[in-house]
Amino acid sequence: MIEAIVHGLHGLLAGFLHMSLPNVLMIGGGLLLLYLGIKKGFEPLLFVPIGFGAVLVNIPLGGLMEEGGILRTFYDAGVMTEIFPLLIFVGIGAMTDFGPLLENPKLLLLGAAGQFGIFLTLLLALALGFSKLDAVSIGIIGACDGPTAIYVSSQYAPHLLGAVSVAAYSYMSLVPIIQPPIMKFLTTHEERTIKMGVVRSSVSRTTKILFPILTTIIAGLIAPMGVPLIGMIMLGNLMRECGAVSRLTKASENEIANVVTLLLGITIGATMEGHAFLKPQTLVVFGLGFVAICLDTVAGVAFGKLMKVFTRGRINPLIGAAGISAYPMAARVAQIEGQKYNRKNYLLMHAMGANTGGQIGSVMAAAVMLSVLKGMGNI
Amino acid sequence: MIDWGLAVKICFFGLSAVFGSLALLIGAIYAFEKILKILEKRLN
Repeated sequence: MIEAIVHGLHGLLAGFLHMSLPNVLMIGGGLLLLYLGIKKGFEPLLFVPIGFGAVLVNIPLGGLMEEGGILRTFYDAGVMTEIFPLLIFVGIGAMTDFGPLLENPKLLLLGAAGQFGIFLTLLLALALGFSKLDAVSIGIIGACDGPTAIYVSSQYAPHLLGAVSVAAYSYMSLVPIIQPPIMKFLTTHEERTIKMGVVRSSVSRTTKILFPILTTIIAGLIAPMGVPLIGMIMLGNLMRECGAVSRLTKASENEIANVVTLLLGITIGATMEGHAFLKPQTLVVFGLGFVAICLDTVAGVAFGKLMKVFTRGRINPLIGAAGISAYPMAARVAQIEGQKYNRKNYLLMHAMGANTGGQIGSVMAAAVMLSVLKGMGNI
Repeated sequence: MIDWGLAVKICFFGLSAVFGSLALLIGAIYAFEKILKILEKRLN
């Protein structure tokens, strides 16, 4: 009788007995993400499920990420098959208005310049001893594009998935803190006060409908490995612009995006098991991700300055910082910074153009890297 | 052992392809917009 009670109590204590320091630390990490999401409003739609996922997976003996466990099932079905990030892309396409970009297509070049950091960080990661595929996944953090980072790392560096995705989303939410000092440092007062005129040319509906189709074909032919990414974002945008399938558009930007965001967040959180996550490598990934975003901003502003010269002072270099994929935060930062120095300056629509260019640029950068690696027989 | 040749190739081809493809897209947007305007004029 007493023996049975002792065994029963032992069963109840098993969770406590199996608790280790890495689990405790990662539960703390999960709670920190919850705090940042709930209290500070940092990417709450992702930080709340990621944080909770991290707490869940670090409770010993829960078995959520064991074979047959609920989070493992979601992970295998949605992340490893790339379904979750691709469905998110349909939603992003359905939510994005490429109008400001189509009104001034030259701004797409800022979206390309905003991807410099990806490639420079790739070199840095290789120099630090990461494998080619690990380095590609780390460099992609610089795209400031969560779904792209998840898509690439889930396929080519699944052991880095947790670190890469948390870094990507953390830095996305920190864009308003990271970018302004770099923008100020790289531009003169005169450059920051440049007023950009109102865009007058209006884009026809036909152009808006043709744009996603054309982009898919051109980008797909150049970098076939990126067809799933660019195809899904452009499918969402085509549905939005054609107006013929409003039910599908609404479902993509609301119900589907919400459900997938929840499942994606909680499964990414579930990759943050203490023993696997708490490694010096994770800190290096976070450090490199930070470097990538800083370099993107530097390259974007520098390219903005170059465009200013070529356009005889009609481009405010501050909008170059919006050439990353963090939409619409980066565009808002350009607008706020511009207004700090000239209250009558409205850079928002121009910055939105660069920002949507950055979305296409980041997807292209990922697709190009994968296609080049495949072409060289490394995938 | 770091394969620097491969790394430089990825960066060189990568950046060129990103810029090239987006430049191509810019050209295509301008061209389509122009063609559409011509067609609209003719129809009117």
